[in-house]
Amino acid sequence: MANAHERRAILSLTAPAYLWLTVTIFLPLAAMLYCSFLDKSPLVPAPAMATLANYVAFFTRPVYRQLTWWSLELGLYVTFFSLLVGYPVAFALAKQIKGRWREALFLMVILPFWSNALVRIFSWTMVLRNGGLIDQAIHWVSPDAAPIDLLYSYPAVVIGLVHSYLPYMILTCYISLQAIDDSVVEAAASLGARSATIFSRVIFPMSLPGVIAGSALIFVPVIGSFMEPRILGGTKGVTLGMSIEEQFMVTANWPLGAALSFMMLAIVLLICAVGYPLVQRRMDGLK
Amino acid sequence: MSQVEIINAVKKYGELAALDHVSMTFKDGEFFGLLGPSGSGKTTMLRAIAGFVLLDEGEVRVDGKDIGATPVYQRNIGMVFQNYALFPHMSVAENVAFGLDVRRIPAAEQRKRVADALAMVRLVGFEQRKPKQLSGGQQQRVALARALVTRPRVLLLDEPLGALDKHLRQEMQIELKRIQRDVGITTVFVTHDQEEALTLSDRIAIFNAGRIIQAGSPGEVYARPINRFAAGFLGEANFLGGKVGGVTNGWAQVALDGGAIASVEGQGLQIGQQALLAVRPERMAIHAGSATAPGSNRLAGTVGEVIFSGNSTSYRIHCGPQIISVFRQNDGQPILASGTAVSLTWEPDDAVLVAE
Amino acid sequence: MSAEKTMRSGGLKLGPVVLRLHLVLVLLFLYVPIIVMAALSFNRSQLYELPFTFDLVWYQSLAGDSRLIDAGINSVVIALVNTVVATVLGTMAALAFARYQFRGKSLLQLLLFPPITIPWLVIGTAMLVFFFWTGIGRGLHAILLGHVALSLPYVIVVVGARLANFPRQMEEAAATLGATPWQTFWRVTAPILAPGVVAAALFAFAVSFDQFVISYFLAPPGVTTLPVAIYAAIRKGFTPEINAISTIIILVSMGIMLITARFYRFGGER
Repeated sequence: MANAHERRAILSLTAPAYLWLTVTIFLPLAAMLYCSFLDKSPLVPAPAMATLANYVAFFTRPVYRQLTWWSLELGLYVTFFSLLVGYPVAFALAKQIKGRWREALFLMVILPFWSNALVRIFSWTMVLRNGGLIDQAIHWVSPDAAPIDLLYSYPAVVIGLVHSYLPYMILTCYISLQAIDDSVVEAAASLGARSATIFSRVIFPMSLPGVIAGSALIFVPVIGSFMEPRILGGTKGVTLGMSIEEQFMVTANWPLGAALSFMMLAIVLLICAVGYPLVQRRMDGLK
Repeated sequence: MSQVEIINAVKKYGELAALDHVSMTFKDGEFFGLLGPSGSGKTTMLRAIAGFVLLDEGEVRVDGKDIGATPVYQRNIGMVFQNYALFPHMSVAENVAFGLDVRRIPAAEQRKRVADALAMVRLVGFEQRKPKQLSGGQQQRVALARALVTRPRVLLLDEPLGALDKHLRQEMQIELKRIQRDVGITTVFVTHDQEEALTLSDRIAIFNAGRIIQAGSPGEVYARPINRFAAGFLGEANFLGGKVGGVTNGWAQVALDGGAIASVEGQGLQIGQQALLAVRPERMAIHAGSATAPGSNRLAGTVGEVIFSGNSTSYRIHCGPQIISVFRQNDGQPILASGTAVSLTWEPDDAVLVAE
Repeated sequence: MSAEKTMRSGGLKLGPVVLRLHLVLVLLFLYVPIIVMAALSFNRSQLYELPFTFDLVWYQSLAGDSRLIDAGINSVVIALVNTVVATVLGTMAALAFARYQFRGKSLLQLLLFPPITIPWLVIGTAMLVFFFWTGIGRGLHAILLGHVALSLPYVIVVVGARLANFPRQMEEAAATLGATPWQTFWRVTAPILAPGVVAAALFAFAVSFDQFVISYFLAPPGVTTLPVAIYAAIRKGFTPEINAISTIIILVSMGIMLITARFYRFGGER
């Protein structure tokens, strides 16, 4: 363990970064937690008193139950479709494409992911709306067809979110699949398993950590999203995130917003608490 | 080309004593091996000479001067690390020139000395290559050239041949010895491989649990180990225990457990004392059948395992409860089969009294 | 090999051909909207009508839109400052983790998780509350505070990975060769670390430049970053300038990522 001289070095190296994190993340979270127990917004000059009313509201008022459910539902849809679309891509990249093509294709898949999320969501409006690409394409094929307006609908929100978060799933599944030694597959084949069996009983289970990690990485941000539903969904596809944003930016009911935020955080932590041991057990089995 | 002394070195990590009052003198120009199992303190001593380890007690002296307070970069030592630690972003020539460059030696002289160093390790023509383009053996030679080009007073080697395969290792052993002799530099190296220690060293020190168990030339230490650990660590040994029956003219008769009598040179032994003898496997002669064989000290047994190794054969002989190892060159005599009754004999000179 | 043949023969319905087709379709899915938007930004028509006439009119009107230009400058400045601060602080912390063992090290490493796993919505609103109470308030300085917090974990992880492959013995070797600690740092440690640090810096820049949620909550009226300004513009109603500025942003972000990938790969010596 470290001696005195080293301790000073460690302190001076880590203190600045962690001080920053304390001021910007940990203290604010504590502050918001405190705020969630107040009965008046901090913006109001009158002194506030402690109350559980905000949390009670979350559990009793049906609108929040509804919003939470819709947010979770949205998360599930997006995660499911990301998995459906993304896993085969990861599989193709990890198992079938080799060499320079693999690197280039991988980069192409990841690249949009690192561009501005807002702008990518916006680009979908160009495609989905009345007069957008899909509409034009359909009219080009059959000029008499009715105009299509996919914008401001629930499917639009799902499409946009899948587009945004798909690379997460591809990335995690790719890493997991790539780690599977080819010799394991060959061993299964030599034992007489056909490819469908090999996939369902060997490959997919071994890639499960990647699937779970990707799902967590997608599900968590999606249930907290508000920008994407607002741009692509309008009044359809309302989420808990949008409600929280309203409390802070529109109605200025910070305590309620804070409570809702923490309830969302609690849901996230619950998912992590359930998912983490699952991943751990799988990973230990693989070692 | 200097003399290095370690005087009463102590280094503790928490409760554990990595060095427990160790003293040793490394003579000018000698090739000295520190041998021992992992954690025995040999690497700690090497790093103490280098300056990476600061001793709790004791001194490190070079040519009589205490260098304990001198930082590493002023000690003028050369060191070759286990994984060579070549700088990946520099070419071979730049790596070798590094020590000269930080001392601001003029460029022309740098070039000359680098060329000489590379010639000495037989890597002329490799100047512009990068470390990752070199094989393990080549990397090691670059590391050696880099350490020697600055003309240090001492050369330190940390498990120098550990990462090489068998063939390369034998080659490098010869190279290393040749270079060391040509340069004449005092060299201390650390190894856990006893064969390496025997091949390279002018003198060896065997380490265990922070202490030097025995030091001396390879021949001395091999032939006359001090205790069970030294006998067992450097080469193989058969251990025979028993009670001293009589002492005549400095020779003791020991009644071995199992009945046989062995003579051993043992001044100062008392009658009735417990004694432990060590006999090397290659010093035991094996004779088929229980017939009388020449020589006194004798054991009877049955052949257990037979291990054929091309130019030699090793036998595991079951002598009562004990298993004795015998090593014999295949000089034309028939190889004995498992289950054969045999008797083993050895010269009294070849039995060594060892402490427990 | 026998496994491949088993794959292609009867058993599995998804053959390599189908998978490759799927891959192409997914790539289309990922890129078509972006390409459409970029194409439309060069189209003279105000709406999204064909025929397509190439025109830079929207980019020109963009140049005159002072609000978006100011927002763009804010974004770049914040991103640059964020890069410097996050890279320096993060590299220092990564050095501490790589060089030393100490009590509390795992705890500190665990604490890097919250900034990346907690939804940005929660972090952003928490910052809003805390900054209000402590008088830091909203503004570019607050946004900077937030961006650095989000960038730090990435920097620490990226530099940490580079350091993990950096054997301590190289610095020791330099010392035995006579290099003072300062010389060792400049001639050995820094050059080897450099690619990792540069990659981390580019990461930090991208994280800051693209950041929307935190900036949204911490931006006071009148002073914003580019993503927030674009969001406001979208909410107000579509104008083709949005296409233009979006195309610019996408190209910048992707460009940075390409450079990062190149650096990380060639410096990484995989």
